[in-house]
Amino acid sequence: MTSSATSMAVREKRKRPFWTMERRDAAAGYLFIAPQLAGITLFVLIPLGLVFWYSLHEWNVLASTFRFIGTENYERLLTDRDLPRVLGATAIFSAGLVVLNMSLALLLAVLLNQKLAGITIFRTLFFSPVVVSLVAWTIVWSFLLQNNGGINGMLAAIGVEGPNWLRNPTTAMISVIVVQVFKNVGLNMILFLAALQGVPRELYEAARVDGASPFKQFRRITLPLISPTVLLTSIITIVGSLQVFAQIAVLTQGGPGISTTVLVYYLYQQAFQFHLFGYGSTLSILLFVIVAVLTFAQWQMRRKIVFYEN
Amino acid sequence: MKTELAPRTKVLVYGLMCVLLIPFVFPTWWMVTSSVKPISQIFAFPPDIIPRSFDFTTYGRVFELQPFAQQYWNSAYIAALVTIGTMLFSSMAGYAFARIRFPGANLLFMVVLLGLLIPSEVTIVPLFQMFLSWGMINTHWPLVLVPIFGAPSVFATFVMRQFFIALPVELEEAARVDGLGRFKIFWTIALPLARPALAAVAIFTFLHSWNLYLEPIVFLSSPDRFTLPQALTQFTDAYGGALWNVQLAAASMTALPVLIVFIIAQKQFVEGLAHTGLKG
Amino acid sequence: MNHLTRLKSATALAALIVPLAFAGNAWAQDTVNLRMTIWSANEAHLAMFNEIAAAYQAENPNVTVTFDSLPFDTYTTTLTTQIAGGNPPDLAWILETTAADFVNSGALAPLRESFAAAEGYELDDVTEQATALWSSDGELYAYPFSTSPFAIFANNDLITEAGQQTPAELIAAGEWNWDNAIAIAAAVADAGHDGLIVRDFNYQIWQNLASIWRGWGASPWSEDGDTCTFADQPMVDAMSFIHNAIFETGAMPGPGESVDFFAGDAAMTITQISRASLLPQGDDAFDWDLVPLPAGPAGEYAVIGQAGIGVFANGANPEVATDFLAFMTNPENSRKLAQFFPPARASLLTAETLGLTNPLLSPEQLESVVIAGITNGVVLPGHEGFAQIQQTVRAELDALWTPDADVEAVLASVCDRIGSLL
Repeated sequence: MTSSATSMAVREKRKRPFWTMERRDAAAGYLFIAPQLAGITLFVLIPLGLVFWYSLHEWNVLASTFRFIGTENYERLLTDRDLPRVLGATAIFSAGLVVLNMSLALLLAVLLNQKLAGITIFRTLFFSPVVVSLVAWTIVWSFLLQNNGGINGMLAAIGVEGPNWLRNPTTAMISVIVVQVFKNVGLNMILFLAALQGVPRELYEAARVDGASPFKQFRRITLPLISPTVLLTSIITIVGSLQVFAQIAVLTQGGPGISTTVLVYYLYQQAFQFHLFGYGSTLSILLFVIVAVLTFAQWQMRRKIVFYEN
Repeated sequence: MKTELAPRTKVLVYGLMCVLLIPFVFPTWWMVTSSVKPISQIFAFPPDIIPRSFDFTTYGRVFELQPFAQQYWNSAYIAALVTIGTMLFSSMAGYAFARIRFPGANLLFMVVLLGLLIPSEVTIVPLFQMFLSWGMINTHWPLVLVPIFGAPSVFATFVMRQFFIALPVELEEAARVDGLGRFKIFWTIALPLARPALAAVAIFTFLHSWNLYLEPIVFLSSPDRFTLPQALTQFTDAYGGALWNVQLAAASMTALPVLIVFIIAQKQFVEGLAHTGLKG
Repeated sequence: MNHLTRLKSATALAALIVPLAFAGNAWAQDTVNLRMTIWSANEAHLAMFNEIAAAYQAENPNVTVTFDSLPFDTYTTTLTTQIAGGNPPDLAWILETTAADFVNSGALAPLRESFAAAEGYELDDVTEQATALWSSDGELYAYPFSTSPFAIFANNDLITEAGQQTPAELIAAGEWNWDNAIAIAAAVADAGHDGLIVRDFNYQIWQNLASIWRGWGASPWSEDGDTCTFADQPMVDAMSFIHNAIFETGAMPGPGESVDFFAGDAAMTITQISRASLLPQGDDAFDWDLVPLPAGPAGEYAVIGQAGIGVFANGANPEVATDFLAFMTNPENSRKLAQFFPPARASLLTAETLGLTNPLLSPEQLESVVIAGITNGVVLPGHEGFAQIQQTVRAELDALWTPDADVEAVLASVCDRIGSLL
């Protein structure tokens, strides 16, 4: 409700009934969002508050001791020998995942946007990993990535000696990123495909008349027009990348060393495997702050990235 | 871009897609073929691309070892309820945030967006405590309520909001002049127009619920209430070793129906999304 | 929307909601419902447990028992979440590696008094060796229902093909020691197969290497658990032996290489006897044998894995739960459990009893591997806070699994990292 609308409402109070259009609208607005807002309060805000409360405690689950220790867990963040490396691994994992996921999704979307016979089959096959069970997916990849596994077998066939993928810090990181990308790129691919189909065809025809090359068409017409989708998917992908750990647990257990231990896996270990719920909660709060800051920054940057905004 | 390609380009595109397909298709192929292999051959190296023998009894074993039909039904009805509930409440919230002006709308939208940022591992312990105090442990309530109203629904609200922002407002204006109430406008005019966005929300929500793993394990304890991803871990021999072929048979049965639905619905789904104009 | 479709959708919605309503909890009001978490979902196991529970219920009509199967991989996680959420089970299976955590935390109820008081229980029959891990200050906190020795499965076809003596022949000649065993493995590996596999080790579950290093008398930490002994000479020698077998002679598959003994392409594997069920039948079958672990420089030895059942002191009915546990593990029911889980009762440790339920194994194999193993075995290493120690050591040991690793330096750095955790 703008201020002028308010003052008008005040001025006309005597003439008009209490339930003005604006008031009715506002009431409807609150009613419409009430279920979700109640849900967010109950299932997100209150639990988050509780997690913060836990983070101020030393909580040994087995011995059921729950002792207030103030900011000790937060001080521990600063002295944790492993944490800097964990944060570094997280940054590399997320950056690699987002870049690879977005570019592959865009490439596939462009390919699948062609008028070709049987394109439906290709779309379905590229999408299929999304619905395959995570357990089956990671197990087969852990076998493919073995030193004597399928990938090195294929490389050997063309005379290349492949690395020991999961046992070398660099290739292990590449492996966990790639396996995660193949599993989920189908979702972004579909979003991009939809965005590509939303681009009016007349624009391309006009560009062709002007003699623009396909590459130029892509840069000047396609990219700007799908930039809102790019922004949305990049936010979702970054947020999602910070929440991946089941695959890492199966493929590398965070190793070799702790080179693929990302933050969410680290907090999972601390809380659920080491039973250190207090410190685990502190790491949760740290993760939440990181995600929130990143998302906020991206949202702020949208005017630069996105071509138009409603 | 969507024009007939020259024959040579066509061959090139087909070739490129076929090569790219390998890493996408092979694991699925392995899953399905391994489900009919004897256990000793599954991890044999090099793997047999085509199984040497076919043993389809594993598919029968799936139903003997677990109440698999019941678990299938559990997953299906939970996913269906979550999908319907999310479509309703998220489109309402999305509509309000996009169309209705009310004090604090921006702030409240930010609050809702918080839900998008929180991994489920972070809140699982407090959520467990809450549902325990409501006597809802080992029921399906947490798996229905949290996705519809909690963090997972925020993505849907976001998509619906973006859709309604892009939707021309004229139709609704006319209805408002005719004196229709907000809910009536939403229900009879805006929502039917939002079918494409709803289709997108439906698929994402369904898949999310269908694949949920951590929550069922934490909240459910009796096999006849399990959901599929959880049930997949339960196929073991007398000594706790995984019965891989039976487990993979169950995994195949979990994935294939969803793939079939995707094949049927994908055209509408993609075109539906195309019109949502998912705009930042 | 016409009336018919509206009716249809209403019916559909009702069909969806009704089961939800009925899925509501059926907490019985007057009766005691005991809940036991287990990591097996096997139907034969569950049938046996339910049979035992039914027999108990016949005597105690107000008590019901349910068995919750949790996935093995996330077992302790799920159990911990339940405890943290204020909903501990009444009874739970506990893994040997986390035994120290549970026993020392005070989370478990003491059992000795109730067991001693139970009629015909014969607590003395339960060997002290088996209960050591589950005891603290003379009190028993969990019953070791499964005590499973580590042994070697050998593929005699591959071994004779490589021109080597089989383990059985070496045993007969009194020469079954690690030097000869690893030589067999290396010879088979040279012949284009794989040598010796420590099952489930995968360069991650390092505690399974105890099945080798005990032969050198090595252990990861001192008896009292306070001092790191990774860098001591026995461990350095044992790890050098293992490192050599991996990177020099190729007797053990290297890191990142997966080989399954039971697929028939490796000479030997170290694992627990329960894995006999994986031996291939029919066309893929091979001539196999089960033998005890070879002697090391420190002499003969045996290593066992264990699982216990404990009662949670914070549960709703610890007394009833303890009573049920006493019933479940009395001599009669222990005999039933022994079908699947090697028992801790001396009276049941006979080749005859075990043979009834392990038809794949010969009396000699049962005698030399199972009975001798359970009687003399040392349990896999465990420690308070084991999960954290396990993970830390795992990360440090990764530096060991490269061809030019400095064994002594790596082991010293292991001790450096875990010193503060012990």
